[in-house]
Amino acid sequence: MPTIDLWAVDGYISTPDGKSIYIWGFTDKAGGSAQLPGPTIIIKRQDPPARTMVTVNLTNSLPEPVSILFPGQSEVRVNGNPVQPQYQNGSLISLTNHCLPGETITYTFYAENSGTFLYESGTNPHKQVPMGLYGAIIVRPQDYMPDHTGYKTAYGTGTGTEFDREYLLVVGEIDPDLHQAVELGKPYDTRVYKPRYWTMNGRCANDTMLPDNVDHLPNQPHGAMIMLEPGEKVLIRYAGAGVENHPLHPHGNHTRLVGMDGRLLQNRTLSNTTDLSYKRFTVLTGAGQTYDQIYTWTGLGFEPVTNQIPTVIPNLRNMAIGHTGMTMWSGSPYLGVKGELPSGMVSYNEVGEYHFMLHSHAEPEITNWGAFPGGLMTMIAVYPNGTLERHHGMLPVESHGL
Amino acid sequence: MITRIRRSATDGWVNTPDGRTHYIFGFGDISGVPENELVNYRARAELMAPPLLLKAGNEYIVTLTSLGTPTRPDLDDPHTIHYHGFPNQIAFYDGVPEASVAVPVGRDLEYYYKPLDPGTYMYHCHHEPVEHIQMGMVGPLVVYPHDYDSSDPAYKTAYGYGTGTEYHREYYVFLNELDCSIHNLVATVQEPDWTEYRPTYWLINGRAYPDTIDTPGGSRLQSQPWPALIKANAGERVLLRFVNLGFQQHAMELLGAVLKVVGIDGMRPLGQNGEDLSYNKNIIYIAPGQSYDAIFTAPEAPDMYPLTLPFYNRNLIKNNSGGVEPGGMVTEVQIYAPGSLPHQTEPNQA
Ligand SMILES: [Cu+2]
Ligand SMILES: [Cu+2]
Repeated sequence: MPTIDLWAVDGYISTPDGKSIYIWGFTDKAGGSAQLPGPTIIIKRQDPPARTMVTVNLTNSLPEPVSILFPGQSEVRVNGNPVQPQYQNGSLISLTNHCLPGETITYTFYAENSGTFLYESGTNPHKQVPMGLYGAIIVRPQDYMPDHTGYKTAYGTGTGTEFDREYLLVVGEIDPDLHQAVELGKPYDTRVYKPRYWTMNGRCANDTMLPDNVDHLPNQPHGAMIMLEPGEKVLIRYAGAGVENHPLHPHGNHTRLVGMDGRLLQNRTLSNTTDLSYKRFTVLTGAGQTYDQIYTWTGLGFEPVTNQIPTVIPNLRNMAIGHTGMTMWSGSPYLGVKGELPSGMVSYNEVGEYHFMLHSHAEPEITNWGAFPGGLMTMIAVYPNGTLERHHGMLPVESHGL
Repeated sequence: MITRIRRSATDGWVNTPDGRTHYIFGFGDISGVPENELVNYRARAELMAPPLLLKAGNEYIVTLTSLGTPTRPDLDDPHTIHYHGFPNQIAFYDGVPEASVAVPVGRDLEYYYKPLDPGTYMYHCHHEPVEHIQMGMVGPLVVYPHDYDSSDPAYKTAYGYGTGTEYHREYYVFLNELDCSIHNLVATVQEPDWTEYRPTYWLINGRAYPDTIDTPGGSRLQSQPWPALIKANAGERVLLRFVNLGFQQHAMELLGAVLKVVGIDGMRPLGQNGEDLSYNKNIIYIAPGQSYDAIFTAPEAPDMYPLTLPFYNRNLIKNNSGGVEPGGMVTEVQIYAPGSLPHQTEPNQA
């Protein structure tokens, strides 16, 4: 049975415009700093009739009570009893059983549904969740076998949710005034909540496009680049950890929404299956909501010899290339071809891959405190066949062992 | 055969019912304009941008020509066309300056499209998109099904013969907001803080009520050529093409007829086995960057023609034009006795 030890601690994150922001968050390393988002918990369900009990030990190193909610999970318990909201002198102080500073509390739940979920603080959540006390849970179906065709799925074989690579995007907002008030121990009035930064996996663009585990972002270990080859099925898991809704729009293609809030978009009876999945080009990711979707890109097959680009390729001296001295472009319209770029232009293009933006269409959210580019933006990179290393978009079967 | 279309990128001014004018960037239609006459199209941006009307299976080259911004001669921002929602786009035609090329002042770029999927899409500039979208470089893009035939009722459809999307008339419900202080900052060469975005006008097809129902428009609305008045004969099926290129979610409510949602983001709502997931609504909630296709049947009302159905934003604070109510996202559906209005051959034709 998976057991996860978490600590609620503080720490700092950085933004691309050079700010350092105080956060509260979770870590799964004793003595570690807060991580944004909290460590991703990945669980594989047992074969029935066995049930998959998950144990989470939370140790509170913050100066006030902290707890964890497990929305969408079954039979969440503390000490064998169902979790309950907590009251003091008749008023609500926590949505679930909490632990005091310096103490440890043990939650258990059964992972009965595959899909994408959140875990987040239930104590002063209006403050603690935006401060960073949130993370994602991925539950894999019991027949999940990443090396077997048809068994690498989000919801089980036969559910139409096969994928080749998977990426998790946890989105959130940051109002620096809240973070500063908490750091200085000052009051904060939730009514003035006004995000100035928006995060994908704890990072603001363009840091979203950096790889995992870069040195200068020790508490924001996860990048948000989506990489695939043509024709591959990519499972993109959105988790809305902020308090606002965000319309996320991938360029390049629609996504097919196959799961919502950790439930397969399918109605099944003994005799009948009604598929409720549908395609979208902009998905409004609600507060607390999760979406599982399949993205593929097959392109129109332009290549330099037999199916050339049907327009005149302009003289690049007459074009504007890149933005602020950098570009993700290869210099060629063809996949897998690199062309000449103006001297002095920094290109991050590796092998002639295509880059498609994925971003919030509530466009003030793609700024860092009002300055574009930033915030809820990343790229989907389509690599020429055979050039993308296998490890990209490979999350482990389980994160915290049995 | 390739159809050629040409769009200018330039600046201009729009008008709101309180008599104020607001500086915009935008697109204009310069298809077929001789090179030596292009200069006459500077400063003539339109809001909403001239629709791009395409047909599935056909080929198009859309040339974008940047004519510059006479009110901001200092501005050297390039522009692009981003065909928002095009399935399986290649980066070169996707209009993202960070991932392909953009068009500087005085230059052109040809975008090639062979759309295969009918539906309601949108186009906008993607250079510094927060600024260029809010400044007005936004318009609808419609892909008609390959078998579309406006003269044959079975083939005048949103998604093709036999898809249950037949209609008699179609109208744009193109939504965005305008923050007048930001437009003023841009006009006076200052940098806005986009996290302070706070709209003062809510627009349908580029206009605020009562300009939405002002069909002739006149010279005051010459940069906003699209009324949002919806007209139909009783019993006809009316297709509304909703697009949101604002930064807020909207809630458009129609009183007196039911909206059947037959398209979302340019796709029929169909499950993986072809399940029909269409549904009926009174209010269409639409987030930034989304599109909806909804069809209603104009109700009969003998002795009452023309019958008026209110159509407005149920986020009622958006029924406001710079502090005056009713204003903003409010318009009307007018229903006439059967046979009164002639056959409609183009969207929004009254
Ligand atoms: Cu975009
Ligand atoms: Cu867009």
